[in-house]
Amino acid sequence: MMDKKNIWEEGLLEKYLLDELSETERLSIEDALNKDKTLKAHFERLESDFERMAFENAIAPPSRIKSAIQHHLEKQYSTIFFSPTLLVAASLAFLFLLTTVLMYLRWQNAQDDLQTIQDQTLVLQERLNALEENYLSTNTLLKTINGPKTIPLVLHGNEMVPHARAVAYVNHDNKMVVVNAQGLPELPKDKTYQMWSDVEGEMINMGLLPTDQELVTLRYIEKAESLNITIEPAGGNDHPTVAQLISYVTL
Amino acid sequence: MDKSTEDNKLIARLVHKDKKALYALYDKYSSALYGVILRMCQSEAQAEDLLQETFIKIWQKIDSYDETKGKFYTWAYRIAKNTTLNALRKPNLLIQTENLSVDNNKTLIEPKPDYSDLCGAIKKLEPHHQEAISLVYFKGYTHREAYQEMGVPLGTFKSYIRQALDQLRKSYQNELLLLWYIFELLA
Repeated sequence: MMDKKNIWEEGLLEKYLLDELSETERLSIEDALNKDKTLKAHFERLESDFERMAFENAIAPPSRIKSAIQHHLEKQYSTIFFSPTLLVAASLAFLFLLTTVLMYLRWQNAQDDLQTIQDQTLVLQERLNALEENYLSTNTLLKTINGPKTIPLVLHGNEMVPHARAVAYVNHDNKMVVVNAQGLPELPKDKTYQMWSDVEGEMINMGLLPTDQELVTLRYIEKAESLNITIEPAGGNDHPTVAQLISYVTL
Repeated sequence: MDKSTEDNKLIARLVHKDKKALYALYDKYSSALYGVILRMCQSEAQAEDLLQETFIKIWQKIDSYDETKGKFYTWAYRIAKNTTLNALRKPNLLIQTENLSVDNNKTLIEPKPDYSDLCGAIKKLEPHHQEAISLVYFKGYTHREAYQEMGVPLGTFKSYIRQALDQLRKSYQNELLLLWYIFELLA
């Protein structure tokens, strides 16, 4: 720490006030001022006297200087807000934002399209499976009815339905009966065709004959002597209505 | 409100970049600082630029002001003084160094304005005391430059400064006493 006497004699406080000291000297004086209240008080008086002297010798500056400072500060702020660098950065940020939004929207559309395609693929797959299943079933039936051991039997309508015609395919080896009933006339909704096997005088139910299907598989009955078609109430009957027998064929 | 308290409030606002605080400080201190700058550079045009530069620096450097180390005016005075001295040290290429005018007599006839005149308590000091204070405070001389300018030994110069400051202090104290006496009479 600097000696107080030295500070007085060397006029260091005046030099400190006038900013004439080196960095080291300045720090030493500040240290001394912090530690010595008398010295601090003297420096404060010195400051006040110099300030008062300056005000006694003040000269009013032209008003344009204040305007120039105001203009400078306003311009500085507007320059900050509208500087070319900032504008370029803002433009780039805006473009980036725009691109991001567009990319996001396109990604969303792509997601929707993908979902639609996946749904359509699923539907098509199901339809393909159904078609394949149908094809296999039809193919099996066709193979069966076209086989050398299959007996095609034509059932003509009697006087009740003279133009009626059904074809039954019977394969005794496979124990299978397939009937094409599309040649039978359409019935009212409360009626249906039903096929029966005659076994030793007893009529045994083989199943219903819908006319809207090309090939209908029916129950094969052992030792059947003939095939008979009757008109029955919708849903079928346990016993044939003989009065409604429209066709038969002997095996 | 106490002057330094008022200043500290303005400075606190200035630290937060309140332009109105700077304008208030300008209104308060610009005349005192302009008086110093103009006496140092002896040119109104240059003094105006330097005063503007000083306040722009105050705006930019207010964070470095520490009120515990001195008054705002002292800090602002140092900025004004150093800004002016730096400007005076720079060679100004725009200043015409050769006389190219046709009428050479014109420059001789027009007297250059002198801004050195001082007022107030300093005017009542002895001429050598006035000059010592004027050199270091209003002309920006260092003690070392000033004693050489005055042509006296450094020790003598330091005595001049101390004596001048003592007399200024007494003068201001007497003014205060006079003011106090007037107030007492009025009361």
